[in-house]
Amino acid sequence: MRKEEIKKVVREGYAKIAKQDSSCCAPVNSCCGSTDLAQDIGKSIGYTEEELTAVPEGANLGLGCGNPVALASLREGEIVLDLGSGAGVDCFLAANKVGKNGRVIGVDMTPEMIERARENARKGNYGNVEFRLGEIESLPVADNSVDIVISNCVINLAPDKRRVFTETFRVLKPGGRLMISDIVLLKELPDFIKNSIEAYIGCLSGAIIRDEYIEAIKAAGFQEVGIIDEASFPIECLANDPTAKAIIENLKIPPEEVKEVASSVTSIKVYGVKPN
Amino acid sequence: MDILACPVCKGKLELSVEEENEKEIVTGSLYCPKCDVHYPISETIPNLLPPDLRH
Repeated sequence: MRKEEIKKVVREGYAKIAKQDSSCCAPVNSCCGSTDLAQDIGKSIGYTEEELTAVPEGANLGLGCGNPVALASLREGEIVLDLGSGAGVDCFLAANKVGKNGRVIGVDMTPEMIERARENARKGNYGNVEFRLGEIESLPVADNSVDIVISNCVINLAPDKRRVFTETFRVLKPGGRLMISDIVLLKELPDFIKNSIEAYIGCLSGAIIRDEYIEAIKAAGFQEVGIIDEASFPIECLANDPTAKAIIENLKIPPEEVKEVASSVTSIKVYGVKPN
Repeated sequence: MDILACPVCKGKLELSVEEENEKEIVTGSLYCPKCDVHYPISETIPNLLPPDLRH
């Protein structure tokens, strides 16, 4: 697939997710169970109960793979940029930490997600969060302007990951930090998964080998780059996740292959600093 | 405004407001003089996708 096509299918895929959840499960009643599922996924990837209740209902869609805000040591007054902000969960958590003198900017390329995030900001009465329709490979953000960049399970979806890291480096102030959660590979995936659009949207086939990922962050200029935490994907998790389930069913992956795929995928939390 | 930049050339953007409330700009546009491109603001959201990615 060409890069433009990838972006198009990713956008369409996430537009669908943004719409589905709001039409079916809003506001509290979980007729299809996805609100509860999102909460369960949320807890399993590192959000606390308190954090999940502190953000507007519907801000957590269960699409992340970590809790970057918890690890980011945010300080009062800081400017935070969230790459691929979705319905806004991490932006709202960050907003609670940086306070009214701080600022959080969420960038997402899917209009339906931005729309949901904006609604959530209104519901929660957040005055220090703003959302922009934009692309993480071409950030609409000035040079040296933010204190910290966070991202949760999004960069794997970008066709040009090196460019995402170069852009991130550019917008950070000297001394600024990077704190991301993402999916990476421990070994290459079989071709039939690599070529699957569903698996791309499901954060699998866009993922790259862990060492290449870390190398791309270093190549952008970051220092003190390190993996703070790494968690393998429990096989039950892969089998329960609706996206993964759809992939397994659509591609008719035999159970032993599922195990193999699960052991190739891992989620990492990575830190880096732009030197002074 | 000082954090905003053109997604293509990263230059400063010029803001024009059509409608605003006490909190934010509802509709308007952001113009990049260098690229000669207008980025629309609609329902308070600036559309800063690079021109080739816009619908």
